[in-house]
Amino acid sequence: MTSGCSDAVEYVYQYIDDELTVTRKARIKWHLKHCGNCTDAFAFEVQLKEKIASAGKTEPPAELFDTLRALIQQERIQQDPDR
Amino acid sequence: MSPLKGGRKKRPGVTVPNSGSRFREDGGSSRATQALTLLVAQMHVPRSSLHRLATLQPMADQENFEADAMQYAPQLYSAALRMTRNPADAEDVVQETFLKAYRAYDSYQEGTNLKAWLYRILTNTYINKYRKAQRRPNEVELGELQDLYLFKRLGEVSGASQSAEAEALELFVDDDIIAALESLPENFRLPVLYADVEGFSYKEIAEILDVPIGTVMSRLHRGRKALQRKLWNLAVERGIVEPL
Repeated sequence: MTSGCSDAVEYVYQYIDDELTVTRKARIKWHLKHCGNCTDAFAFEVQLKEKIASAGKTEPPAELFDTLRALIQQERIQQDPDR
Repeated sequence: MSPLKGGRKKRPGVTVPNSGSRFREDGGSSRATQALTLLVAQMHVPRSSLHRLATLQPMADQENFEADAMQYAPQLYSAALRMTRNPADAEDVVQETFLKAYRAYDSYQEGTNLKAWLYRILTNTYINKYRKAQRRPNEVELGELQDLYLFKRLGEVSGASQSAEAEALELFVDDDIIAALESLPENFRLPVLYADVEGFSYKEIAEILDVPIGTVMSRLHRGRKALQRKLWNLAVERGIVEPL
């Protein structure tokens, strides 16, 4: 664990979210090139983020679109009964 | 009603007319642009701002609402399910969101971020509907949270073998991840949901939740660490790993 490691770990989320300034991103990238442990740690965080992304998505019930369209149609008629 | 009010930078004192339909009746947005140009000229606004105002998109047309917004329904449902943790409530929240969005669509500015606009309505709908019912404090703290929480622990139990942590991560099934995500207190769960599942940028999340970007970052980062702690605890409970 070097000071480069603690600097990298501090910004791990901003790095994987692509929310860093170009300079800081380059500095961390350089550190990762030379540090296997941080490279593993960063890859792990990316992998977990991807896992959360796929697990967190649930298909809606099949009739959701129909329900929403009917709801909006009803609202449209209420707003303007002459249509 | 303008759910994304404050999300856009506007020059103080210059208000953009909110009556998109009136401009359309007058014969399209060129009249609107002319009116704005005149308004701005009278107010001695610098040319750069004038350009920005003159190129403003008109307000959206309610007639286009379904064509524009319906594509986001599955994502909004999925997010609502993570918020309410219950399919019936999730459907209620999505229905109310679409109704509100339809009614307010005249105040949505075309060309701006429609997805974020809809998520902001979704979030407010959820909060108004359920936070009252829950009767619990809005802000919950998470205590001490280590960096790389799960990586370090999985590394310790799985020994020194190469990328053992990554393999250990595959032991978690989708239901574990969902349980960990849904265990987070709301003020941490929503940023994690929006960043990891929905892929919003920090700036977009700040607009959706109406909090400063620094708050988004601290809640997102702490929320993720707490999610990792929960995953670790789940793994221990299920006997996947030996407690350290």
